[in-house]
Amino acid sequence: MDVNGSHSCLGLIETPRPAALVGGLSIDSTLVQRAREGDASAREELARVSGDAAFRFALQLLGDRELARDVAQDSVLRLFSSLRRVDPERPLQPWLFSIVRNRVIDLRRRALSRGERGAALPSRAAAGDAGELPHDPPDAGPGPFERSERGELQRLMWSCLGRLERAHREILVLRDYQDLSYREIAEVLAVPLGTVMSRLHAARRKLRAEVLATGYRFGGGS
Amino acid sequence: MTGGPGRDSSASTATPFPEELLSGYLDGALTQQEEQQVRLHLERSPEARAMLDELAALRQAARSTPFVPIEDRQWSEAPRTRASAIAMRLGIVLLALCGLGLVIGVVWQASHAPFGTEMKRGMIWWAAGLWVSGLGGALLVFLSVLGDRLSDRRHDRYRRVLK
Repeated sequence: MDVNGSHSCLGLIETPRPAALVGGLSIDSTLVQRAREGDASAREELARVSGDAAFRFALQLLGDRELARDVAQDSVLRLFSSLRRVDPERPLQPWLFSIVRNRVIDLRRRALSRGERGAALPSRAAAGDAGELPHDPPDAGPGPFERSERGELQRLMWSCLGRLERAHREILVLRDYQDLSYREIAEVLAVPLGTVMSRLHAARRKLRAEVLATGYRFGGGS
Repeated sequence: MTGGPGRDSSASTATPFPEELLSGYLDGALTQQEEQQVRLHLERSPEARAMLDELAALRQAARSTPFVPIEDRQWSEAPRTRASAIAMRLGIVLLALCGLGLVIGVVWQASHAPFGTEMKRGMIWWAAGLWVSGLGGALLVFLSVLGDRLSDRRHDRYRRVLK
């Protein structure tokens, strides 16, 4: 194999991500600054984009649209209540995601204290053995999972993601679904930068094992 | 498989290969020296190449998974109170009855004209019934919507955000 470029995975590494699917929160510093100064249109725009990003991240962690919506709403409120403390020059996304993550953890704690483990978060038990999704797919509309090998893999991954432990799910979502850098992931999870790669790899290995356990074969489908 | 973390199947006596470097390589997060280390390992280990391919496929699938943002109306959608929901349903039923009565009345009037005194008295009652059901229905719908709006205003979580 030519390890300098012809390996198939290297092509995947370089594949640009479609703009519409990017989970990144592209907010310019002037928008944050204007929002801080009380500009109504800037605040509205910031609420919209941060709400979308928070919802998507919460959905990926929780797997439940209703819960994700509540978490996103709370997170945006918290974001705005402490907007004056934000440094407009720093990326907003890690900070917002930290808020979302904390809200998800709170939600989990509350659910556990009420004995509603399965109701709050997708778990292995909730996933069932019939290969059904443990939670709603990302999009109920047509075409979220094309009838293709990649579509099948997307569906399997979405299902298997709910079976992973929280730490693994978090880091996979942050890196592979949200495309955060290692430094940003370390900031969101409040872990040393050196921990990110090892935890991420462990999570990827686990996800791969879960996908293989469903009978899926890479390169050939299930 | 690579034979487990930290194990190089082709050179068991060599320095163990830190397998997490594969993820770092995939993400372009390695130093030049680490990248070279991974390349050498990939040259020697078909299992590592297979794993890298599979991890790359997983990552690519994740990156291309579409997530549709929640619709604006869903943000502000608040559950109706029980009273509001009942008022709305009752109001709609009354308005529907009013409309139906109006149609029946017009048809009946056209087919039975001219009317006698008794008929006219009946028609007055009929018209009164239409007014009551129509106004009552409209009032109930209005109160239901008003109640929802007031409730939304009291519980609007974005009120402080959007000003």
